[in-house]
Formats: sequence, C-alpha cells, structure tokens
Amino acid sequence: MSVVVVAEHLRGEVREVTHELVSAGESLGPVSVALIARDPTPLIAAVNVEGVSEIVTLAAGADEFESDTYEQALEALIAERKPRIVLVGFTVNAMGYASAVAARLGLGFASDVHQVSLEGDAVIATRSFYGGKVDAEVEFPGAETVILALRPTVWAPAEGVGSAGVSSLDLSLSPARARHVEFLEPAAASDVDITQADFLFSVGRGIGDADALPELEALATRMGGTLSVSRPVVDAGWMPSSRQVGQSGKTVKPKVYLALGISGAVQHLAGMKSSGTIIAVNTDPEAAIFGVAHYGAVADLFDVVEELEKLY
Amino acid sequence: MAETRETFAGLSDWQIAVWYGLIAISTAIFALGVALLVRKYRRGGGRFTFDRPLERIAGAARIVLTHAWIKRRVGVAGLAHAFVFYGFLVLFIGTAILAFQDDFAKPILGWTFWQGPFYLGYSLFLDLFGAALLIGLVLFVVVRLLVSPGRLDYSRPDRGGSDAGRGRYIVGDWVFLGSLLFLGVTGFLLESLRIAETDPAFEKWSPCGWVFAQGLRALGVDGSAAADAHFRTWWVHGITALAFVAAIPFTKAVHMLTAPANVAARNPSAGRELVPVPSDAKAGEVGYGRITDLTPTHLLQLDACTKCGKCTDACPAAVSGYPLSPRDLVLDLREQAEGSLGIRHALHVEPLADVAASLTPNPIRPETVWSCMQCMACVEICPVGIEHVPIINQLRRRFLDLGELDASLQSTLETIYDSGNSFGEPRRKRGRWAKELEFDVKDARKEPVEILWFVGDYASLDPRNSGISQTLARVLHHAGVDFGILYEAERNAGNDVRRAGEEGLFVDLAEGNIEAISGCDFERILTSDPHSFNTLRNEYPAFGGAWTVLHHSQLLLELLETGKLAPAKSLGARVTYHDPCHLGRYNGVYEAPRHVLAAIGCELVEMPRSRDNSFCCGAGGGRIWMDELKKGDLPRPSESRIHEAVALGDIDYFVTACPKDVTMYEDAIKTSGHQGDLVLRELSELVFEALDLGSVAVMTGGAEGSPPDVELDERPPAAT
Amino acid sequence: MRVLVCVKQVRALGDEVEFTADGTDVDPDYLDAALNEWDSYATEEALCVREAHGGEVVAVTCGPKESEAALRRCLAMGADRALRVDGVESHDPLCVARALAEVVREESPDLVLCGVQSSDSVQAATGTALAGLAGLPHVAVVTKLELGTGSARVHRELEGGLLDVVDVDLPALLTIQTGINQPRYANLRAIKQAEQVEIAVRQAGDTAAGSRVRRMFVPSRGDAAEMLGGDPAEVARRIAEIVRERVA
Repeated sequence: MSVVVVAEHLRGEVREVTHELVSAGESLGPVSVALIARDPTPLIAAVNVEGVSEIVTLAAGADEFESDTYEQALEALIAERKPRIVLVGFTVNAMGYASAVAARLGLGFASDVHQVSLEGDAVIATRSFYGGKVDAEVEFPGAETVILALRPTVWAPAEGVGSAGVSSLDLSLSPARARHVEFLEPAAASDVDITQADFLFSVGRGIGDADALPELEALATRMGGTLSVSRPVVDAGWMPSSRQVGQSGKTVKPKVYLALGISGAVQHLAGMKSSGTIIAVNTDPEAAIFGVAHYGAVADLFDVVEELEKLY
Repeated sequence: MAETRETFAGLSDWQIAVWYGLIAISTAIFALGVALLVRKYRRGGGRFTFDRPLERIAGAARIVLTHAWIKRRVGVAGLAHAFVFYGFLVLFIGTAILAFQDDFAKPILGWTFWQGPFYLGYSLFLDLFGAALLIGLVLFVVVRLLVSPGRLDYSRPDRGGSDAGRGRYIVGDWVFLGSLLFLGVTGFLLESLRIAETDPAFEKWSPCGWVFAQGLRALGVDGSAAADAHFRTWWVHGITALAFVAAIPFTKAVHMLTAPANVAARNPSAGRELVPVPSDAKAGEVGYGRITDLTPTHLLQLDACTKCGKCTDACPAAVSGYPLSPRDLVLDLREQAEGSLGIRHALHVEPLADVAASLTPNPIRPETVWSCMQCMACVEICPVGIEHVPIINQLRRRFLDLGELDASLQSTLETIYDSGNSFGEPRRKRGRWAKELEFDVKDARKEPVEILWFVGDYASLDPRNSGISQTLARVLHHAGVDFGILYEAERNAGNDVRRAGEEGLFVDLAEGNIEAISGCDFERILTSDPHSFNTLRNEYPAFGGAWTVLHHSQLLLELLETGKLAPAKSLGARVTYHDPCHLGRYNGVYEAPRHVLAAIGCELVEMPRSRDNSFCCGAGGGRIWMDELKKGDLPRPSESRIHEAVALGDIDYFVTACPKDVTMYEDAIKTSGHQGDLVLRELSELVFEALDLGSVAVMTGGAEGSPPDVELDERPPAAT
Repeated sequence: MRVLVCVKQVRALGDEVEFTADGTDVDPDYLDAALNEWDSYATEEALCVREAHGGEVVAVTCGPKESEAALRRCLAMGADRALRVDGVESHDPLCVARALAEVVREESPDLVLCGVQSSDSVQAATGTALAGLAGLPHVAVVTKLELGTGSARVHRELEGGLLDVVDVDLPALLTIQTGINQPRYANLRAIKQAEQVEIAVRQAGDTAAGSRVRRMFVPSRGDAAEMLGGDPAEVARRIAEIVRERVA
C-alpha cells in the first residue's frame, strides 16, 4: 500500500514533522515524499532519510507555502500515483489545504490522528474527541485514498541517510489566489525567555481572571521558576505571547513543568509534553493534561497555590 | 373679656392688605416651585404609580410621626429632629387655626373660638412646642459644631474624600438652620414684646414669652416702646417667614414635602423584588441611561434626600474604599436632574446639564455602579426611603444592554447560560454531592416529597459548601424529613444574575427552574442559600412560581421546636453570628438562626454590626464574579468583618448561614492573617455536631458513600 | 458586503461518560452544549467587518434543532440572519463542508468566516474543505484581517507565533483563530428576542462523509500519572519536593 508524505518546510528548512511522517508511513507501506517548492533541490538531502523510497519534487510558484499551490500539486500527485494513504502533519500549513483536497476528490480524511493501522485493506486511524477525553477508531469505507493529518511529536522522527531516488512531476499551476507576502516575527519578546527555564510554573484558563497573576508570578520566582501560560491567558490579553507554551507559542523542555489549571488541549500538549517531569493540578480528573503528566493532583489550583505560598 | 389677643394689632388696614398681598406672592412662588418639581418628575420614564393610597398614606404617617426611621443610628440628632419637626408642625398648625378663624370662621360664619380656655391652651401648647423647636435647633448646631460627624462635611468617599464643590451644600445647611433659628428667636421675641406692652395676667399661659416679657419690662421696654419694637419685629419675622415658605421648594427645606411624599410613594419591596424590564423595551433602551429614564418616583426620591449620609456610612463598598458612595450617587443624579429638568434648569443656575446626555461616565462612573454589592444596607437605613439598590440595578441593566461589562462577568454569565451554573461544571455534576451520601436522596422529579430542597450553585458544586450540604442532608435524614432535590434539572436560581443587571438571563433561569419545580409533587421548598431564598420567595411568584419557601435556619428551628431534632449534647460554645444580607436585611429572618444556636447550647455574642446593620461579605450583586476594583489599602469588606469578629475576643466559632459567606470568610480569615484566631462554622455544621452522630466532614467534600456513575477511571486493559 | 459565518454547537464532556448503544459516540446525556469558542471570534470578526464596510452577517450551522442555540447566540451578538442545515452527521468535517457548500452557492457571500477548529472534534478541516468545494481562495488560522477592495491582507499564525502575511483574493474563506478580537457579550434579552427570529432550515443534499467513527472508547492511559492524594497542603509539599529534587 503506497504512502505519500507531503514534506513541510519553512524558510529553507525542512520541518521535523516531515521525518515523523516518514516514520509513521514506513509501517504502512513504501513511502514517497512529495517536496513542493519553487526550488526543491536544496531540500532534497534533508528529506532523504532512512525509510524513504522515493522523493518526488513538484516545482511550485513560490518559496513558501501557498494553499492553492499545495492543493494543485497534491491533487496532481494523487491523480498520477493514486497512493493509498497521504500523510501530512497536523500543522497550520496542512489546515490550509489537506481537507480541501480530500473534499474535492472525495477522499477519506481525518486529522490529529495519533495511531494508524491497517486491517487488511482498510485503513484505521485513531484520533481523540471531546477535549482528548475519549478516543475513536475512524474508518474510511469506500475511499481509495485516505488523507491523514498526523499529530506532531507522536511518532519518533526517522533519521539517518536514505537512498531514495528523485523524480519530478510537472505541474501547470494556475496563479495562487492567496499569496505569501512576508513573515513577521512574533510580537516583541519581553526579557523573559521561557524556553531557557529549568522550571516552568505554568497557568491556564483555570486562574479565572488576571487578578492573581502578579502573586502567581511572585510565587513562581520564589520557587526558582518562570511563569508561563497557555493560549487562553494570552487571548484574554492577560499575558504577552512571549509567555505562551504551545503549538502557536513556544515549545519548551524544562526539567519540571508545573501545569496549574491547564486542561491539556492538544496544541498546548504539543508545546510541553517532552518536559522532564510534568506535574498537573486540575479540578477535572479527566483533563487531558493528566495523560501526559508524571504527577497529578485533582485539586483547586488556588488551594494548592495557597499552600505553596506557605512553603516559600 | 375673654382671654385673647388681637391679630394684626398695630397694623393699619392697608398694611394688612399688603400683608395678604405678600402671602399671595409667597404662596405663588411656593406653588411655582412645587409645579417645577412636579414637572420634573413627570419627565420621568413610565407612569407615576400610587396603588392602595390609603394604606400608603397611613403607613407613611405612622413612620413620619413616630420618627421610626429618622431616629435610627443617630443618637441625639433623632431627638433634636423630633423637637424641630413637632415644633414646626405645631406652630404651623397653630397659624393655620388662627388663619381659619380670621379668614373664614369669623367673617363668614361669625364664629370666634380663639379665646378663653381655648386660647390659653393654645398659647401654652405653642409656647412649649416653640421652645422644643428652638431646643432642637440648638442641639443641631451643637452636633454640627462639637460632635462634627464625618458625614456632614460631604466629602466624597467615592472620589478619594474630595470635598470640591461641597461648599454650597454646607452653606445651604447653615442657611436653613440659621433661618429656622432666626424665625424661632424672632417669634419668641415677638411674643415677649407683645406681652411686655400691656402684660396681661393670663399671658402666663405663654410661659416662655411671659418670662422674657418680664425681663423686657424690667429693662424698661414696655408700653409704646414695646409696641414699636413689636411692630418692627413683626414685619421682620413675618417677611422672613413668608420668604422661608416661598423658598421651601428651592432649598433643603423641600425635604419637608418630598421626604414624607417618598415614604408614601416608595416601593416597599424595593431591592428584594426587582421590577422586570418592560417587554416592549427596545435594545439600547433597557434600564437607566439618561435622567429621563428614571421613574417619576425615583426622581422624587432624589429630592427627598437630606444628605444625612447614613447610607454611605452603612455601605460596605464606601467603607472599604471602593469608588461608590450611595449618598453621592443620589446627589449626582439629583444635580443632573436639577440641572437638566428642574428648578435650577428653569432658573439657569449652574451647573446645567443636557437632558439627553448619558448619565455615564459622567457624572456616574461605571466603576461606581459596579462596586455595589446590592446588600441593601443603604436602602434599609435611609430615613426617607430612597431606593439606591434598584437605581444602581437599573444603571447596570443599561450597561448589560450595551455590552459594557468586564470580561470576568461576561465570561461567568456566558458560563451560566451554557451550563446552568457559575462554575462551568457539567450539568450532571450538580447532584453528585447527594449521590456520595450513605443514604439515598430522593429525586424530586420522580417521586413526591414533602420538602423540595433547592440547593443552589455554591451549595451543590463548591467543595466546602457541598460538604455542608451533605451535613445538612444528614441532619434532615436523621430528623426523618422527607426531602428531595432536583438533581440536574436545577440551575442557578438567578438572584445574583438579576442583581448584576442581566435580566434576560434571570428570566430564562427563573422560567426554567419554575418549570422544573412545577413538575414536582411537594409541600414546601427549602433553600440553603439565602440568595436562592430571596429570589424564590420574592421574585419567582411574578413568573408563576409561588410556593412556601423556607431557609434552612427556619426549618432547623421548626424541627428543634417540634422535637423532631433533639440535640444529644449542648455545644457549650461561645459564638458570634453574621447575619447574611439576603436572609436578614432582605427578608427579616434574624431570630430563627439565633434560636437554633440557643437550642444547641451556643452562647451568642453579637457582632457590633448585627441584624439590620450586618456588614456584607462583599460577594453580592455579582461582585464575586467580577474583576477586583482598585480601592487602595483598606481591607476588603470580608477582612474588615473578620477583624470585627476577632476583636470580640475568645470566640469559639464565627457562624454564618450562607454559602457565599462561608467562601468569603474562610478566605478572609486567611488573608487577614487570623487563621487560628477564628474558626468558621456554618449553622448546619453546628447542629450536626450537637446531634453527636459521628465525625463531621468539614473541609473535605465528604467523600464517603456509594460510588458515582461510571467514571473514566475505569479503563479497559491496555491493548498489547 | 455579505459575510457568511459558519458556526457549530459543540459538546463538552465532564468526568463521567457512557457511550451510545452502538458505541460510536458519547451518550448525549453526558454532554453539555455551547457555541464553539472559535466561532464566537469568527462571528465577532464578521460583525466588525459589517461595522466597517456595511452589509449583512449571516450565520449558518449544520445540525439538529438543538444546535439552533448557537445561531441564537450569533443573532443576539448582532447577526442579521441565520440558517440551519438539517440532516448532517456532524462529526465528519467533509460531510459538513458539503452541506455548507450548498449554502455558499445559494448565498454567494463576499467573505466566509469559520473558526479554526471546533473544541469537541479538533479536526481543523471543515473551513478549508468548504473552501475547496466552493472554489474559494482561502487562508487558515487567521489572527488579523484587513479588508481591501478585491483582496484582503491577513496574518496567518504559524507554529511558534511566527506570522505569515498573506494577500488573498476576494471573495475568500478564512478560518479565524482565537485572540483576534474580543467577542462582544450577547445579553439574554437579545437572545430571547432572537428567538422570535425565524431561522431558515434546509435539508442537506449531499451527505457523503470522509470518515466514519466505528468505535469510541476511553483510552487507556498507559503510564498514568502518579496521583498525589491528600489535601492541598500535602499536594503542595510533594510538589515542592519534586521541584527540589528535579531542578538541580
């Protein structure tokens, strides 16, 4: 069963998720990696890891991601190769094209998939529902090709040097209707770089409002840590985005990550699950954060904070 | 000859004519003033309502004549006011009696009665009351100068104690006081001079005047000297009096009319039952946004205010440094009304205001409106019946209508809409506390019960308070009470949602709860949260839900009195009790909790501010859901209350009967640094202790008993 | 300017669960419903566009009658009209997109706004699939929108917070990320009055799905977290201990 992996790259670098996709695809069938770029050549080596059978380059109109380009390229490749499974990362880029292709071509589709298996000819993908509290096995009856967006950091990235042959597919692309103009770095970072901290004292929606933040920051400092937050705290305007842990924020790997009042939405987990020791405090015993935590406590974060303040 | 005196003695006919002319002018000016005031009130929104007029007038008469409201919490000033009030009233009636004879009875009916024994009695009476008037006024002066209560400098607690622009009020006060003193003194002088002229023996019946007359005569002021002085003094006194009367509508003296009028016209259930938003109100026009949105009665109320400041003194927000001073809110609104619609507007006296201008942010700032805890301390103590709480509520309704609310409140209201509770907990979790008990709690939706227990958000879902609910359930179970709860069908009762200004959500919650309750078979409703108690008892009837509603302190007392609950031991504890706002001030339930405490052997030491003067914990009016407001270094209301309790010394338990109080005071005990000094107990917990049934699960959620529904902890074995 | 906002009435699970008889979904009794958080940002953005450029905002959802509550919220926030498409199995994003594509064909909006994802499914796919079917230029994960004539300039928020500035031709479809604006409060009076508004209902035609749930279950947690029991004081003590041990 043939597998096509769509490589993801940004500013001339291949992103790690691409290698995770290769690793996932390997167990399903021979893996061809599709490289869509204006000039794919410099990216070939980075993509050529162990497990890749073939690299297909598709020359696009722009250096950076554009939805129309990726859609047309992928559609052309699918028409040509008729893969059984197309793997993309569950990333911001993929959110901009993968389901469009699946819808237009009548393919199977599932995203944020964290397990894939084959049962005979059938592809079975496992994904979460309801805040990560339940999982579901999803099937794709009648679909010849299935597009799956895989959850990043679940599969270990494929490594080494592969010996894939390179071929190309010619594309006749219509002009992109959504065009990349430029990149902007995220808003000016404060003096705090949470990626450098050994201990992150992280708070989420559970703090209720901004009132307690000064106290919490002071406690974090006394404990030798740095205050970080999950996305809702930034969305509400209570802390700058430089403090945000998560997929659209920073990815962190401190020795200890203390998560208070954070439910563990998948995009947050993506940013911190590789931390050395994860301690989670939440009033919801089924919060997804407990799935990645090493230690957990079902408690009100303010009760725990109050007790911590006595110790520090 | 019968004892009497000649009215208008020494005045020629044309002088009398001039006098009547002046009366006509004075009356006309007075009438004009009153007309301008009435015109202002008529600009208010909606119609002026005055239902059951006889009842209202009789009630107002009783309150005013007994000074029942005026004398509260002001010591000697209450007595002084009574003297001034009755002095003025009697003198006024005296003059009216005389006018009745001279202008009607004598010329038209040929009847004179103002002579002989009647005259003597009249003279004595008026002299005594005239003296009382003067004594009262002098007491007022003494209080202002020597006691100098903080209230009377009119500094604004809501603007950091500023007294800018308050000079006018202070001058007005002194002019009022001064003019009454002048009238009183010149009145007695007049009488003394009149008596001094011929010194008739029967004038001993005017004791004060007679005594002064003797003094005057001793100084040689008698006969024509006295008559001359009398003549001049008469005109001075007379013109001053007429000027005073004419000026009544234009000065502080107007409260003589507006205050009794408001006591009669007010809404007796103001605050405890808020008025609904009219169904035809248009978006953007809900509540109070402009001065003309205020009802005629509310506009009248603004003029009834005598600036006494009892409301601000009682207000927990004002005392804790929040930007709210009830008195200044009323005065700001009054100035707006006067400057845009009233007498000042008609006479072009600055500061003028635009009638179409929004009341917020100027002069009423949003943080002022949001600081209110809707505790009713202001309304309860106001001697003239001003309804600060409903007015603030109407201002909030406009904010909600326009979407101007802080993010925390918005988030909580959205949460209540989505999940039916303020915690955002799943609906199914509401009855979890009951399922954890070692006995079954009936589902009132499915089987008949005698008592339907409406538990409330905090008592169902907050860990400390749901533990108290479990304790109360054990007490009721032990007493053999047949009770049940609504489980998931119960939603937030809506009391605080309504008080935060979200009328639409309140109606939605109320209708939903009423529908759920109506489908049940029960005798009475029990509430363990005074907030739910208030709204179910006072507000749900208007939406079709009228039942007998009890608070658990009342039910516990009933059980103790009928012997269904018999304490196994006397606690022998020294306790103090905090009257929850919604139980005490709102609904008058002061004694039931106290009797319960007595029955279980607790010696009650009253808080300095207790019963109607109880000091709010700060959670009410939706404040517990809002962002903290900037207020400087003063302790929060709850902390201030804890200091008050600790100062009583050697108290075993600080007792309360409201879940929000439990939450606020447990927190305040810690944050005020008194952990270990004071132990908080809810009433049910003490009753349970007195039953001596076993250990009380106090701080925990009470996790004994049958396991809950399938929990996600029951995991299937991991796939290999 | 007609802005179409696609919204979803999502469902949240508490800490207890039971599954339906066929095991493919959670028993609705265990689920609480609410308007998808991303969609309130999308609705707010649509209202801001209308305030700046005039026109109308139309809210649409796919689902059973109960999901009209989501539309009522949008109407209360200020949307002009609302539509519901009935007969759609809402777990599958492609199925929903197909139903919505029929609405897009009928309404011919100048702009379509969707939330990036729904909180209960987190597929982050419906909007983009809809754009593909409707042939609309599209950008996903938008945190800023500036409308011009004929095109719009948007910010696409990438991993790590990097912003991609994109010019997109109009009419277009954008999926809106949280934090782009502050959704206004919809007071309940407005929601009640919205109840008087007629919500047009149409039946979905094409209901082909891209996937099907065959089994839903509670996942085993593998290396489950070691739960720290006891009261908050004990929890705090253990946390302090762990921090001391592990942060050298």
